[in-house]
Amino acid sequence: MPTFLRVEHISKRFGGVIALDDVSLGIEEGQIVGLVGENGSGKSTLIKILSGVYTPDRGEIHIGDRRYKRLTPIQAIREGISVIYQDFALCPNLSVAENIAIARWVFSGRRTIHWRRMYREAERALRQISDQIPLDIEVGQLSAADRQIVAIARALLEQARLIIMDEPTTALTEKEITSLFRMLKRLREEGIAVLFVSHKLHEVKEICDRIVVLRDGRKVYDGTAAEADIRDLQVYMTGRVVEPVQFAARAGEVEGPPLLRVEGLTLEPYFAAISFKLKRYEVLGITGLLGSGRRELALALIGVLRPAAGTMEIEGRPVKMGNIWDAWKLGIAYVPEDRISEGLHLPCSITANVILPNIRRLAGPLGFFNYRRHRGIGERWRRELSIKAPSAETPVRNLSGGNQQRVVLAKCLATEPRILVLNSPTMGVDVASKAAIHRFIRELCDRGMGIILISDDIPELLQTCDRILILKRGRISHALRGRAVTETELHKMLMEG
Amino acid sequence: MPRLTRKFLGRHEVILFLAVIAISVIIGLFNRAFLSVATIFEILRGSIPYALMGLGILPVLLLGEVDISFVGVAATTSLVAHTLLHDFGYAGGIGGYILIALPLGAAIALAVGLISALFRLPVFAVSLGFWLMLYGFNLFFISPEMRFDLPLGLVGFYNHFLIKVQDPIVGETGLHVAVVYVVLAAVAIWLVLRHTVIGRGFYIMGGNREVAVRTGYSLVKLLCVAMAVNGALAALAGVLVLQCAYKRFFDPILFRGAELYVIAAVVIGGTSITGGRGSVIGVLLGVVFVQVITRGLIYLGVEPTWQQLVVGCMLVVFFILTSLRARLLGGHPGRSGLTRGEGK
Repeated sequence: MPTFLRVEHISKRFGGVIALDDVSLGIEEGQIVGLVGENGSGKSTLIKILSGVYTPDRGEIHIGDRRYKRLTPIQAIREGISVIYQDFALCPNLSVAENIAIARWVFSGRRTIHWRRMYREAERALRQISDQIPLDIEVGQLSAADRQIVAIARALLEQARLIIMDEPTTALTEKEITSLFRMLKRLREEGIAVLFVSHKLHEVKEICDRIVVLRDGRKVYDGTAAEADIRDLQVYMTGRVVEPVQFAARAGEVEGPPLLRVEGLTLEPYFAAISFKLKRYEVLGITGLLGSGRRELALALIGVLRPAAGTMEIEGRPVKMGNIWDAWKLGIAYVPEDRISEGLHLPCSITANVILPNIRRLAGPLGFFNYRRHRGIGERWRRELSIKAPSAETPVRNLSGGNQQRVVLAKCLATEPRILVLNSPTMGVDVASKAAIHRFIRELCDRGMGIILISDDIPELLQTCDRILILKRGRISHALRGRAVTETELHKMLMEG
Repeated sequence: MPRLTRKFLGRHEVILFLAVIAISVIIGLFNRAFLSVATIFEILRGSIPYALMGLGILPVLLLGEVDISFVGVAATTSLVAHTLLHDFGYAGGIGGYILIALPLGAAIALAVGLISALFRLPVFAVSLGFWLMLYGFNLFFISPEMRFDLPLGLVGFYNHFLIKVQDPIVGETGLHVAVVYVVLAAVAIWLVLRHTVIGRGFYIMGGNREVAVRTGYSLVKLLCVAMAVNGALAALAGVLVLQCAYKRFFDPILFRGAELYVIAAVVIGGTSITGGRGSVIGVLLGVVFVQVITRGLIYLGVEPTWQQLVVGCMLVVFFILTSLRARLLGGHPGRSGLTRGEGK
């Protein structure tokens, strides 16, 4: 296949930070190239250089027989480079057809809208990849998968020859991922190249023809997907062999009723008939793809969603929770998956965030609260979790992702929970913090807590959990011993219908 | 429900139209006099200034901005136009007023838009200041009093009808000629919003600013266009209301407080206060809806002191019903936040 695009010796620095360092890379027509790397490896800088958002400091971009020192956004579109962002960049208030076609109308310099022609154009593009989605429905009413299809159709209408997809599977369910992969294969047959940017190695290996790994701004691996080994890729990505956390399963030794016992928990349409036991000194992993009900189950376990049926017992006593305060009182703490919007008050200090769940207990008899008197609490947790910040009065906004996550943990631990529910605790966290969080989870477990870890990070589950439950369409499909499966087996169980 | 019926009933404008009819019939049951051609014409006449201002605010709201200074613009421009014309001994008709007020209104509103664009402020904040400034200016610099000294050319404009009817109760009345301005403005704005690339820009900007900018739209340009239209139509409403609706004098505190009625009417018409949603038909229906209720209450014999309370209650009920309907038809995605981002 002829080469569509070649970047040669591209470098880019921001202030003192080198984002890309002498990266060269070619993409052939009709080739699916996986671009993987940790956060901060330079993936998004490369995307932005290809789409004309950033100017490279050095290097060249070759497209066909044209040579560019830099691309402008308009040039990138003219050359057929189209980016599909994680949020799809669509207008929820407009129809599918308008979302697909409007940009082309603007770029072609037309001044008036001819609705019938616009619908025809949009239809031609959309029907290449889907015949399910109606053209006249508002995009806001579509599922994430359908919105992604609309975004791809828009790229096709713009005559894209290289489609860059930024983490395209994050918002999709298993079925939707399968159909996305089918769609990508069809694009490949038509000679359209795809740059598939992801950190999920299993998916990359499954769909891509070639895999490129970036680390700290440098290209450290470039080879065919067939030859790539996932363990090796992981090492290339992180730059070191990740040592599995050593832990001894102690839950078996515990006598008496389980810490938490869930019987037949049901909340249609999210989950149904969920039963499991959680003992002290145990980490229970719950996994499943998006839409499997894992998030709603977590919310039900902490009293935010009220299940329609089923019972929960803590140490043999049945409990009922109406809200998250009840859960705190019963000793259940929750680390939400989206720490920015659900876990933290960004402008507030570490102290203010940490004392929040206990604020009723700490307040004086009239309900007034003396902030200064409780400053020590923040300082104590800052030291205990080695949060990198000048003091406990630093606004949480100024911390790095990994350190913010530690504040969320501190906040939960300050309630002295018996049960800790963690939802994707290492999402968007760098490698070093990730390992630290895994170690910390085991440490908490060794202190006698019961921990429920909800995650779709397969290595994470295998490394930290004693047992793993797989959710599918709201039901438990597999219950496994953590040590009894390999990554590939677990990935297969997750993906199969 | 079959798809077409569902789609038809899913349209906010259809529901609103049915609601207007239903309320009119109910009021008519209590007072036969309400269901007459004369009442319809009266309602339309009363709607003229609100409809003009509503049409003007529509593009601004589509962008996701809120302006309240337009009422001040209307008051100032009409008063300035009148003072100027009066000092020059003008004896002509409405034309002279429009010629002065329209560009002046556009300019003042444009200033609001430019300040907010230049200093990256919400239009609402700047317009709060302008609202006070403009009324203050009227009272202090121009005239603290109402002015009844109309030019000769305007005498009789109040009874200038397109269609005349004889009503047994109110006598000779009809469809006021100023309705033409509303129709012209409505058609023009509809054409731009629906059928031009720049018009779609308002919806795109309101739906997703990043997409709009990436597509090549400029927020500053769109905001300037929106505010200029807003100011011009408010000024038009200002000079017309004095002659066609309920007042026959120039008033330094004209429309003070009416901005809430206008925005309420526009929102009733299905326009989203956060941008991206709204239509010309919706605005017109929303304005008529509010007029029918306020006038209907008079026919029902509700005391004037109770009217605001009743109108307010009806608005709240209407919004609750709209929300319930949307949930029933699955129109808007749920906003609970608990199942955010996870499609079916």
